[in-house]
Amino acid sequence: MENTTKAKITLFHCINAFTEKKSLSTDRVDVKIIKMPCSGMVTEVFLLKAFEAGADAVSIFVCPEGACRYTEGNIRAGKRMAKTRSVLDEIGVGGKRLTMHQVKPAEGANAEQIIAGILEELKALGPNPAA
Amino acid sequence: MIVGHQKPIEEIKKMVKPYNKLLILGCGTCVKTCFAGGEDETAALASALRMAFKMDGVAMEINEQTVERQCENEFIQEAAKKIGENDAVLSLACGAGVQAMAKRFPKAPIYPGLNTTFMGIQESHGVFTEECLGCGNCGLGIFGAICPITRCSKKLLNGPCGGSQNGICEVDPSIECGWQQIIDRLKALGQLDNLRTYIPPKNWKTSHSGGPRKLVREDHII
Ligand code: SF4
Ligand code: SF4
Repeated sequence: MENTTKAKITLFHCINAFTEKKSLSTDRVDVKIIKMPCSGMVTEVFLLKAFEAGADAVSIFVCPEGACRYTEGNIRAGKRMAKTRSVLDEIGVGGKRLTMHQVKPAEGANAEQIIAGILEELKALGPNPAA
Repeated sequence: MIVGHQKPIEEIKKMVKPYNKLLILGCGTCVKTCFAGGEDETAALASALRMAFKMDGVAMEINEQTVERQCENEFIQEAAKKIGENDAVLSLACGAGVQAMAKRFPKAPIYPGLNTTFMGIQESHGVFTEECLGCGNCGLGIFGAICPITRCSKKLLNGPCGGSQNGICEVDPSIECGWQQIIDRLKALGQLDNLRTYIPPKNWKTSHSGGPRKLVREDHII
C-alpha cells in the first residue's frame, strides 16, 4: 500500500485483553477501536460491516488461550474469524485482511507492534478493493 | 425444524444481477436456528453482496428485512411494503417459505438464497441431523422413537444389514448405524421384542412418492 494513503484499520478488542491508554492512530494509519465485553461477541456481520465501511484491515484482540474470563470467548472469536475470512475470500476482498491476535492487558506496547505488522502486510495487500 | 445452508455467493450474484434494487428477506424461525437465514445472516449476506457488486462495478441497492416466518401469511404481509419498493427478493427461507412468498406476491421475482436440506434437529450447538422424511405414516412407536427410514441409509425396516460395524454404517464412516441405535434404545426400554413383529414392505403412497401432498382441515375452514 502506498505511503501516501493513510491506511484504515478497525480493531475489535475484548476489554479484558487490552485497554488503550492512547490512540493507536498515527500519520500512517487511522485505527478505529471497538471495545467489547468479550471477544466472543464479535460476529461475522460486525466484521464484514467494518470492511464495508472502508477498513483496509480488521483485527480482533483476544485474551491468550485459557485466559478468557468467559471460558471460550476467544475460541468463538477464532471460529467467527475463520468463517468471515472464507466469505472475504469468496467475494474477492481477501481473507488475509482479517487477523486475530492474543494480547495480555499489560501489553499496551505490543498493540503498536501488531498494528505495525498489519501495516507491513497491507503493503502487499493494497487498499480494500471494496472501499 | 427445517435445516438449510446458504448458497455460494457467486450463484446468488448470478441470480440477482439483473436487478437494481434487491430485498434480502430473512426468516426468523427454523433457518435462523440453523444459522442460515435469520437477521444476522441476512445482514452479513447483504454486506458481503454490497461489497461484491461494488467491486464488480455493478450499482445495486441492497435492502434487508427479516420476518418471523415466511411460510405464514400474517408474517409475510409485514414484508409487503418493502417488496413493493424493490425489484426482486432474495429469500433466505426454506423452499416452502420461498414458494409461499411467490404465491402471495405473484408479480415479484423471488429467488432462493439457501439450499434447503432436511427436516431435523439441532443435535448439539452447530450440529444438525436429519430425523424425519415425512413419510406420512409414522412407525416410530415400534422402533423406540428412532426412524429407520431416515436414520438407516438403506431404509431397512426389519433389522440391520450385514454391514453395520461397531455402530457405524457401511455406507459412510461418518454415518452412525440407525439400526444399532434402534436396538440399543429398545434394549434400554425393555422393548427388544418389538423386533419380532414382521414389518411388511412399506406403502409409500402416503409419502411424496404418491405425488405432492395436501392436508385439508375442514374443521378450520369457514
Ligand atoms: S416413520 Fe415416517 S413420519 Fe415417522 S419419523 Fe420416520 S419418516 Fe418421519
Ligand atoms: S449399516 Fe446400519 S444404517 Fe447403514 S445401511 Fe446397514 S443397517 Fe442401515
